[in-house]
Amino acid sequence: MSEMWINMGPQHPMTHGLWNLRVHVDGEMVLDVDPEMGYLHRGIEKISEDRHYNEVVTLMDRCCYVAGLAWEHLYILSAEQALGIRPPERAEWIRVMSEEFQRLGSHLMWYAAFVQDIGLMAPFLYGMRDRDLVLDLFQSYTGARMTYEYMRVGGVRNDLPNGFTDQSRKVCDWLIDRFEEYDRLCLASAIFHKRCDGLGKMSRADCVAYGVTGPMLRSAGSKRDLRKDRPYSAYDRVEFDVATADGADVTARYLVRMEEMRQSVRIIRQALDWLDKNPGPVMAARVPRWLGAPYAPIGNEGYLLKRNYPKGLGLSAIEEPHGEAQAYIVNDGGEHPYRVKFRSPVFANISAAKKYLVGYRIADIPPIMGSVDVCVGECDR
Amino acid sequence: MAAEGVRKEPKSADNPILWVARPMATAARQFGKSLIRPSTIVYPFERLEDPQFREEVAVAAGKPIGVGAVWDNYRGVHALNVATCISCNLCAFSCPDLCIDMVTVPGGDPKHPKKCPEIDYGKCSYCGFCSDACPEGCLTMTTRYELSTAKRSEMVYSPAKLYEVFQRKLPMNPVRIELPENEDAILLDPPLCIGCNACSRDCPTQCITMIDIPKVGPKPGEKPAKRIWKEPVINDSDCVRCGTCISVCPKECLFWGSRT
Repeated sequence: MSEMWINMGPQHPMTHGLWNLRVHVDGEMVLDVDPEMGYLHRGIEKISEDRHYNEVVTLMDRCCYVAGLAWEHLYILSAEQALGIRPPERAEWIRVMSEEFQRLGSHLMWYAAFVQDIGLMAPFLYGMRDRDLVLDLFQSYTGARMTYEYMRVGGVRNDLPNGFTDQSRKVCDWLIDRFEEYDRLCLASAIFHKRCDGLGKMSRADCVAYGVTGPMLRSAGSKRDLRKDRPYSAYDRVEFDVATADGADVTARYLVRMEEMRQSVRIIRQALDWLDKNPGPVMAARVPRWLGAPYAPIGNEGYLLKRNYPKGLGLSAIEEPHGEAQAYIVNDGGEHPYRVKFRSPVFANISAAKKYLVGYRIADIPPIMGSVDVCVGECDR
Repeated sequence: MAAEGVRKEPKSADNPILWVARPMATAARQFGKSLIRPSTIVYPFERLEDPQFREEVAVAAGKPIGVGAVWDNYRGVHALNVATCISCNLCAFSCPDLCIDMVTVPGGDPKHPKKCPEIDYGKCSYCGFCSDACPEGCLTMTTRYELSTAKRSEMVYSPAKLYEVFQRKLPMNPVRIELPENEDAILLDPPLCIGCNACSRDCPTQCITMIDIPKVGPKPGEKPAKRIWKEPVINDSDCVRCGTCISVCPKECLFWGSRT
């Protein structure tokens, strides 16, 4: 009876959502772990088969609730490929800017939650306060703070409001100063290093074998970043560096995310400069009406079958704040997608928990899982 | 330790006291700032949508931008101008949550009852698809966001209640979707049409006219078809593409398609 299984979750401050980590312990030491996901499964892929192409965007915001615009971008790229529609260039730059702002928002949220996991309360408040500025910007051009419903097949819903670029530049300058402050609070702190150094090691080969992507893979020294390796939208026209580190531990993941936020600000500034110089349409000129067409009236569904629209497949992959996400859409010519499939980076990152948790102490689990950046919404879908 | 592209860790001081003192000093500076200019607002007494207040609060709190500029695009409770509603059903059709019912309101004639949206805010997700779809711009979203009630039934806003919101002249979401040049129109499959006039009768914009077509007798040996010798012609420039004609057609002879 010296060894036992304990449940961390589904309601546990470490989980940041609804999932359960079963831990096999001998006293303090972790012998084995068994992550259980699925508590937040809402059947988003199945619901998508009953929605028009544009209406699926409403589900994407609920898919990952801290990176909604990144998931909208992922879905829209795939849907446009399946439907054979090309967005105007300005819309692509707005999407790039949105995704980078979303990366800032998501990483700030991660920072706030992570430092709270290792017991620092004050940085949590600063992280949440600064994330609010990013949400303010989102509200000014999408109309909502978390459920944006902004991107559409063939472009984006509306153009940026007047004065938006100036406000964004002010927020960027402000955030750059705050990152210095975060480093003073964490990297210069003995408490931080005692809690984080050398924990949760996962080598690059293990990451590749388990499909672990994103900041976790880059913290192991890899330069894999889809924005560089397979540029989508306007990412081939912006300059930025891929953030890497080679500790492969919790501190290295902190360094990678902090550097990614600085690079995001760099990308945003380039995008804002481009958007200032190039006004234009944000919606493709010829988008089939049926993308926003009404539902089939009850009792008269047959008329939908008379349509004869192009069929196609769509496959897209983006570098989401948590890792590499993919979407696959089958368009069989109907009003709704025939099949929608998403690949969530968080699912792969949590599934490899045995590799980076076994051998450490039970009190090390919160910082390690915090450094993974769990978003259960997209993991369970 | 850190590779290229990543900032080096700040040089740790030899004195271990500094390892604790520097973060504490940073936090203490923020604490001092917050005593003079707090970052939060006292919500029920200070409101972001209050025009006198909203410009000052954020800048006073030391934030780089004010909140006044961000507020007007907010998607909150709808405002409905009942007078200009044409009962086209497009808001109800485009709602992903199916939270809009079309209910009869006074003002129509017995043959064409006037129907306006009734919105259940218990289901609404504030996506704004309905106001994007509205061809007349009579259903818009306002900045109102306070909805809490003690009863669920009070979450259902009748057209009259939505009209009250409209009369308050709140700032409305001014950003509207740029409607694409429509590729699709409503087409007719002529052999199926029996000329029953249902589409023309129910069209909210009266853009369908029934024209006479030449009578063709039945072929020898065939039963004469039950047919009124008329056929609908749709005026594409007036059509709002609501699909009402398609849904009322008894023979399913109208459908979406491209004219070219």
